[in-house]
Amino acid sequence: MTAATARRGVLKQISALPQRGRISWSEIILLVVCIAWVALGIAPTLQDVVVLSFLFAGLALAWNIAGGCAGLISFGHAAFFGIGAYTSTFLFLNYNVTPWLGIFAGAITAAIAGAVLSLICARLKGPFFILSSLAFAEVVRIIALNWSSVTGGAEGLSIPPVPDLANMVLGSKAAYEALMLVYLLAAYAITRRLEASRFGFYLFAVRDNDDAAAAAGINPLMVRSVAMALSAALTGAGGTLFAQYFLYLDPTYVISPELSFQFALLPAVGGLGTAIGPILGSFLITPLSELLRANLGNAAAGLHLVIYSVGLIVVMLYFPSGIAGALERLKPRKPPS
Amino acid sequence: MTALLEAQNVSRTFGATRAVDNVSFKVQPGELLGLIGPNGAGKSTLFNLIAGVMPPSGGQIRLDGGDVTGWKSHEMARAGVARTFQIPKPYRQLSVIENVMISAFLRERSVAAARDLADSTLTDLGLAPYRDRPASEMTVGLLKRLEVARALAMRPKLVLFDEIMAGLTPTEVGAMTEIVAGLPARGITVIWVEHVLYAIMKTATRMVVINRGGVIAQGAPAEVARDPLVVKAYLGEEMQLA
Repeated sequence: MTAATARRGVLKQISALPQRGRISWSEIILLVVCIAWVALGIAPTLQDVVVLSFLFAGLALAWNIAGGCAGLISFGHAAFFGIGAYTSTFLFLNYNVTPWLGIFAGAITAAIAGAVLSLICARLKGPFFILSSLAFAEVVRIIALNWSSVTGGAEGLSIPPVPDLANMVLGSKAAYEALMLVYLLAAYAITRRLEASRFGFYLFAVRDNDDAAAAAGINPLMVRSVAMALSAALTGAGGTLFAQYFLYLDPTYVISPELSFQFALLPAVGGLGTAIGPILGSFLITPLSELLRANLGNAAAGLHLVIYSVGLIVVMLYFPSGIAGALERLKPRKPPS
Repeated sequence: MTALLEAQNVSRTFGATRAVDNVSFKVQPGELLGLIGPNGAGKSTLFNLIAGVMPPSGGQIRLDGGDVTGWKSHEMARAGVARTFQIPKPYRQLSVIENVMISAFLRERSVAAARDLADSTLTDLGLAPYRDRPASEMTVGLLKRLEVARALAMRPKLVLFDEIMAGLTPTEVGAMTEIVAGLPARGITVIWVEHVLYAIMKTATRMVVINRGGVIAQGAPAEVARDPLVVKAYLGEEMQLA
């Protein structure tokens, strides 16, 4: 096919259902709905849930670069989240550096931590890597708890709630919706770029077979470190956004294993290694857990967790490749010639 | 003429076992060298030493006259040495063409160019009809061919084949033999480890026979087959020289 006919056929070539490396109509519609939702100020009572759904969709996409694409299943991403949040907040509170710059400082610090983690764990695979990542985050959490001069220790850090765009403290929930949506879209664009690139193919190669990848001239250690650094950087940026939304940070929440599990869970529910999966996972799970907690949290303590867990078990049993995987199976398949 | 690949007194020990013991041989450009030996002779270890999977315990490996001893797999690949895996190692979640594209990226930086190179490689190997199939759905015979496709898409100087005939039907063996035999004409030197002897005896230009970690014979296939040491090494194993 020549370039000219390819250009003419561009619209026709966009498929209805999601596929790797190319945008699909279902994704375009989903993202346009998100943008319209924010622009038109739909459902003001749900703004908290929408802000969190967008933020966690971005974080799920960030986790997915390491866990879904490169096969580096990490239960320690809360460490990068915390490092990003604390870096920007520390710089802001102590040196008056605006979080608009701090977010990049946080991302870079988190990227370095990510590269260090993957170099330390270079030889570990599967469950051993998972356990090391969990331990890594615990180490970071304990350091944060004890390093009071920087992190405020167990008391945490508070950002003065004075709305000022220059300091990324926004005046309305609608503005936060927009901020988180920009983050989501950036993470989505990066994922799309990545999976259609040579480096993206290298990620899939080291995920599926390390030995074969090395035999094809790929340095698996290098590819893993870069993937982890990129994933950590995006997660760190999410940490800054979280800090600017809640205006309060403490190690017990921002570097908790719970949060690490959440980052891993959302892409697993939505579809690992896909660009749309982590978004769908967050849009399904984040509101569900928030609404269950809000409505059942007081009525019967713990009931919301039961419902939540049963839902997850059902998804894992019947949709092992996530929502995106289930959509994939809807596609009519060409019989092999 | 400098040998393309030269092993000088290469050894590899595992604890007290000398899996490869003081092996020396040369491969000239354009050769199709068969490397055979009975089970446990040290073929696979020798293969892994050349491919960079593990470093030798002693001796030297030279590629194009330069010392490459102890180079890692990806460094050997970048230096122009491709390999196949005896037990196929496809990227299971990717399609057949994507499997080959990853190898093609070694020479082609852009996705489109890599796709073109992968496409032409698939056509060469008769895999074009399976282009968009997930690798996880391929039969063993097709996966073996995919291994060869991936190695050739790297445009190597030297390709190492590890038992590419095992598990193939006689028809498939015939087709594969034809592909392998055509490689030297395309400027690709071959070292071929094989257990299916009749295929290799017909195709190889020279044979190296190893047993108990050491070279026991080398020369033209017909010569090697008559060598009393070789016959003795294979005694008890059926030797089919069709």
